[in-house]
Amino acid sequence: METNVVPGARFVDPKILARIGNLELLARTVVEGFINGLHRAPFFGASIDFAEHRGYVAGDDIRRVDWRLYARTDRYYVKQYEADTNTNVSILFDISKSMQFASRGIPKLEYGCFVGACMAYLAQRQRDRVGIITFDNDIVTHVPPSAKHFNITLHTLDRAKAERPGNLGVPLNKMAEHFKRRGILILISDFYEEPDTILEAIKPLKFLGNELIVFHVLDPAELDFGYDDASSFEDLETGEQIPVVPESLRDEYRAMIRAHIEALTTKFSEHRIDYTLLNTAEPLDRALFSYLSSRERLMRVR
Amino acid sequence: MAFLTPLFLVGLSALAIPVLIHLIQRERKRVVEFPSLMFVRRIPYQSVRRRRIRHWALLMLRAAAVALIVLAFARPFFRRDASAIAATGGAREVVILLDQSASMGYGDHWQKARDAARAVVSGLERDDKATLVLFSRNAEENMRATSDRSRLAAAINAAKVGSGATRYGPALKLAESILSRSPVKRREAVLISDFQKTGWSGSEDAKFPEGMTLTTTSVASPNTANLSVPSVSFGRAAFSGQERMTVTAGLSNKGDGPLKDIPVVLTVDGHDIETARAAVAPHASASVTFAPFTLVGSNVRGSIHAASDPLPADNAFYFVLSPSEPVSIVIVDGLDRSDASLFLAKALAIGSTPAFQIDVTSASRVSPATFDKRSVVVLNDTPFPPGSGGALKRFVERGGGVLVVAGDHTTLPSGSTNEADLFPGRLAGAIDRTSGRSGSLGFLDYSHPVFEVFKAPRSGDFSAAHMFRYRSLEAGPNDRVLARFDDGAVAAVEKKAGLGRVIVWTSTLDDTSTDIAVKPVFLPLVHQLVRYLSRYEAATSWFTVGQVLDLTARARTRAARIVVSPSGERTTQAGMGEGTEGLLELNDQGIYEIRGTGASGGRPEAIAVNLDPVESDLAPLDPSALLASVTGHATSVDVQQQAPQEMTREDTERRQSLWWYLLLTGVGLLAIETIIANRLSRKEKFL
Repeated sequence: METNVVPGARFVDPKILARIGNLELLARTVVEGFINGLHRAPFFGASIDFAEHRGYVAGDDIRRVDWRLYARTDRYYVKQYEADTNTNVSILFDISKSMQFASRGIPKLEYGCFVGACMAYLAQRQRDRVGIITFDNDIVTHVPPSAKHFNITLHTLDRAKAERPGNLGVPLNKMAEHFKRRGILILISDFYEEPDTILEAIKPLKFLGNELIVFHVLDPAELDFGYDDASSFEDLETGEQIPVVPESLRDEYRAMIRAHIEALTTKFSEHRIDYTLLNTAEPLDRALFSYLSSRERLMRVR
Repeated sequence: MAFLTPLFLVGLSALAIPVLIHLIQRERKRVVEFPSLMFVRRIPYQSVRRRRIRHWALLMLRAAAVALIVLAFARPFFRRDASAIAATGGAREVVILLDQSASMGYGDHWQKARDAARAVVSGLERDDKATLVLFSRNAEENMRATSDRSRLAAAINAAKVGSGATRYGPALKLAESILSRSPVKRREAVLISDFQKTGWSGSEDAKFPEGMTLTTTSVASPNTANLSVPSVSFGRAAFSGQERMTVTAGLSNKGDGPLKDIPVVLTVDGHDIETARAAVAPHASASVTFAPFTLVGSNVRGSIHAASDPLPADNAFYFVLSPSEPVSIVIVDGLDRSDASLFLAKALAIGSTPAFQIDVTSASRVSPATFDKRSVVVLNDTPFPPGSGGALKRFVERGGGVLVVAGDHTTLPSGSTNEADLFPGRLAGAIDRTSGRSGSLGFLDYSHPVFEVFKAPRSGDFSAAHMFRYRSLEAGPNDRVLARFDDGAVAAVEKKAGLGRVIVWTSTLDDTSTDIAVKPVFLPLVHQLVRYLSRYEAATSWFTVGQVLDLTARARTRAARIVVSPSGERTTQAGMGEGTEGLLELNDQGIYEIRGTGASGGRPEAIAVNLDPVESDLAPLDPSALLASVTGHATSVDVQQQAPQEMTREDTERRQSLWWYLLLTGVGLLAIETIIANRLSRKEKFL
């Protein structure tokens, strides 16, 4: 189990976290516990003051010219500082009705909130600007990224309610139009659409140069379909009911959800999108790992 | 098609039950919320398999089974078939009355009768029912109402000619009883017989109501010639202390032609003793007397066989002979007269059936041994023998008879003695009727065996006897007064004590007090009194078929008896006192043997049984006369010509019995459905 691989996982058990009403406290508990448990944080704080030199071009502030280097090389170089690496972190949180589902533990929506809060806290600790957009079949709330929007972000997460059916295409297209500056987009959703449709919806965000971290939140029941009795299954979003004999469907369902996840994994990796499948029965560490590795990649790429 | 109970068709709504169960099962499942049914919906077929009916054949099978069972309960029938049946008149109830009396053994009568019965059986339709009744003197159902023609044919084949006489009354009454119980409209009786005139007196109360038909089939031959031996008589003569028997056989010729030189054979104990030749004129009788032979021992079996003819059964006559046993009588008379019992003794000395063995003794010589091996004790105008009261009482209680001839000398034990209750009433003084008009017998109880023979007119004039003196007697409440004098005084009274009988005659049986001794009625009166008191029964040399014998009355032992009939059939009759009636019905012609189970040695008792002589009279009856008497129609009404009878819906339905096939098919379909469903469910656990 990954909870054993990663020390500190005991701090991030979703069921325990669910008892903490304060999202900030929750996020801090998770993140601090996670970081302390790592013993070393190889990605954290490296080269935060100085990033690189770049050739002076007309228009650059001459105060940024590295005169010492000029003395040595007789060329003008401009120093780029860590201050420039602060980025916008936008949490794109799917609050469509399907996110309300919970089989045994906490609902996907709540788990998504935890993930979002943790991401926001991590970002805020790194001086990133944090914002949030919740959406279902349209944008519900929009908090633009800002160094001061951490609390608002948490409030937004706290107030999020899954009430309407969802649709990725429309709200993500709108977002793509909105984002002018590249940053980190953390998309939290259950992705109940065709992989191609999902990718089509996400692509516009990626074209802007944004770093996209995708968290695919699924309940254990959605993964293993562990029902026994023949029942009528009601689609949470459409209300459609279908009589189902789980015993007869289980294998096919599992195969299909596996295929869906594999398709998403493949397609996202093809488009250099960081994809993480989150099981609401598992701790939050995988989300944090995913984020941090993404941050590292962002720095390397740059 | 119509239905007898159409309300059951409501049950067809049960067809919806499988579908309803399917739907209800589906509806009552709980609803499970699921984020998205995107994948479930994408899984072809299975996701909705429960909602859809997959095995239409199975559903159709179930529905068909339910529908067939419901239809079976509704009792369907076809009207068209019903009308077709009505045109033929519907099912019949037929009673075949087959005469098996002895006369049916004549020539080929029996074969013809059975052929006629088989023809009736083969003419039965599928739904017709027939009962076979074999009759002679009585009638019994040999085969109860059945449609099984093979069983009926087998019963006819197994039937045999009996020995009984012909009587149509019981058979027709039984047929009427069977037919009246039948719910079927067409009821017929078929009488197959030789229609002997003697079997129908016309007074039989056998009437067929309207709706019942009687058909007659006569197997009688037009000119029947029949010789029979209707009777045999015996003459007994004593010779050297033994009895010699002279057998005379009667012959009867019922034919139109004379019979000459007929051999008539006398057989005794299996040996042909003598063959005589006889000639009998047409419709006349003759007799043949054989030479006497000595009767040695009891139960000697004999038979007479006359020449063979088409009806051999009545050419034989069987009899059993035993030496006659005289009735032993002791007459006790007074001391002073030597001829006191002259009239009595003389009267009793006459007669051979039975012969009387008389001993006369005086009262003073009477001892208990005097009563040994006696049948009757006559106390003839004598004082009661002293000291013999107890012995006389035991004698009576064991079955002996006492006749008290109460003259002036007669005394009977007084009231205080033990034997006083042996005698009826209380004997008082004498009544003298010598002066004036003498007395006479005024009342006789003709119902009593003693006086029964005098019942008929001119059978004895008791009023001619003058009674001059007689003893007064006051009869007790349990005594039976047999005769009274003209003044009402008791003349004869009887009392029963134990197994024996005591009669007191209140006058004398000589010429002292009455002149009855010289009247014609004297001898038969004395014989009757002694026969009655001795319980004499004439030995019967033969019985007639149909008689019932009370074996307990003839029993010499209390042990069980085995009866062997002439046909060899053995039956065991339980011993006396074991709760059985001991009655034996004599159904076969010939000699019956009766043996005690524990007896060893000695000749078994034998009983000869002969045909009823009337059975030899083959004169036929006109069947139409019988028909007219029974049905009121001179000829049988042909049912086929009757207007077609409308069958009831119940009859039509019962005849078709479609429900039976429907029910079977329905149950069969359910069984097939169960098998198929089990196999399918094994393949698809989620069914």
